[in-house]
Amino acid sequence: MAPPRTYRCESIILSYTPLDEADLLVTMYTRDRGKVRAIGKGARRATSKLMGHLEPLTVVQMSMANGRSMDIISQAEVLQSFSELKGDLDGISKGLYLAELVDGFGAEDSPNPNLYQLMIDTLTVLQADTESDMPLRFFEFHLLQVSGLMPELYHCVECRIELEPDAHRFSPNVGGTLCLECNPEDAHLRPLSLRALKVLRLLDRSGIAAASKLTMDDSLASELKSLLSTTVSYWLGKEIRSNSFLERLHKDSLPEVYK
Amino acid sequence: MTQENISGAAPSLARLVQELNRLPGIGPKSAQRLAYYIIRLPDDEAYALADAVTSVKQNIVFCEECQNLTDASPCQICSDPRRDQTIICVVEDPLDVLAMERTRSFRGLYHVLHGVISPINGIGPDQLRLKELFSRLDRPEVTEMVVATNPTLEGEATAMYIRRHQGRTDLRITHLARGLPVGGSLEYTDETTLTKAFQGRQEI
Repeated sequence: MAPPRTYRCESIILSYTPLDEADLLVTMYTRDRGKVRAIGKGARRATSKLMGHLEPLTVVQMSMANGRSMDIISQAEVLQSFSELKGDLDGISKGLYLAELVDGFGAEDSPNPNLYQLMIDTLTVLQADTESDMPLRFFEFHLLQVSGLMPELYHCVECRIELEPDAHRFSPNVGGTLCLECNPEDAHLRPLSLRALKVLRLLDRSGIAAASKLTMDDSLASELKSLLSTTVSYWLGKEIRSNSFLERLHKDSLPEVYK
Repeated sequence: MTQENISGAAPSLARLVQELNRLPGIGPKSAQRLAYYIIRLPDDEAYALADAVTSVKQNIVFCEECQNLTDASPCQICSDPRRDQTIICVVEDPLDVLAMERTRSFRGLYHVLHGVISPINGIGPDQLRLKELFSRLDRPEVTEMVVATNPTLEGEATAMYIRRHQGRTDLRITHLARGLPVGGSLEYTDETTLTKAFQGRQEI
């Protein structure tokens, strides 16, 4: 029996690009099919029934038709628009950062419901507090986990000795934390403070709601941000472009003396 | 498409197909059709097309005021004394100026950003004509800025960035109304647009 020509899927829109006269090429991450690229026919026309339903960071129930080279969006219904998040510049920039990471880590025809749920949960928490960076750190850490790239935090990745409560070193290249005795030649090796290790372990054990309430000083926040975004970028194999806009907004928000 | 792909075609024809193929929305087949259409054109029409391409590349400059594309800077709109100098409408692209002018309902000045902030595509504030906008907004005669970026996520982000980074406290900042398009249908309208349409309802 021939496979059905249409299907429905719940998805979150990651991005789109204009195509031809009035179409959109939409990239979305679906709960059941992984990353999907599909065409919204006529979606750029003001009177299109798809208009407004295909904006990035929107959860949409899609009806799709199998196309010859790419699927066609036949209907779209917004399930969650995250409108408060989109009403704030920091919220938008953080949301688009998540979208870029999901686009990079998500694969076509390779469903990962945990990654889908992680994105929805993170956007939900971000919507309630767009100023906090902790939801981003939680997302980066668990993005590695649901992608099978979870860094080792409890034993040295070289000698397998249990890590003492002390400062250590970290490298995404070797898969996590190293004790001070092991010295592999590794350009990605970096120091890891005890405080940062504790926060990473907390991220491992906590849910997003609890992790997002964590407050920390600027130096620890900066160490974690650098470590996690470098690790994510390492596995992605390229620079995360939306990161530079996030950095720009952060710098703009600092008092003049810190710029 | 490379010239080698167009087997059997004369090198000059292959080159034309290749160049047309670079245009947005023009695939290899369309490029071939256009190339053969150009070959069949009368000489004067084909040369007029080539001349128009050369002329536009030689003469078009950015208006020193609004940053729109123009033959002479400042452009016709910016140098027209009948335009309202106190209000600046900020748009994404030169085509948006044409769309606004067709309405004949706006008599102020424009500022063209030449894009929107698009973090995923690596386009930040420095790639837009924002510095020139902020410099124009410093003039005391300007009393209102209408941010007319598209109502997309990136258009809204750009509008928010402009509002946050412009330096005036006495400037009226507005954006175009959000709501239902003429000829649209309530049934298919997304919740954000409907909410904004309700918020902006008017007496009839």
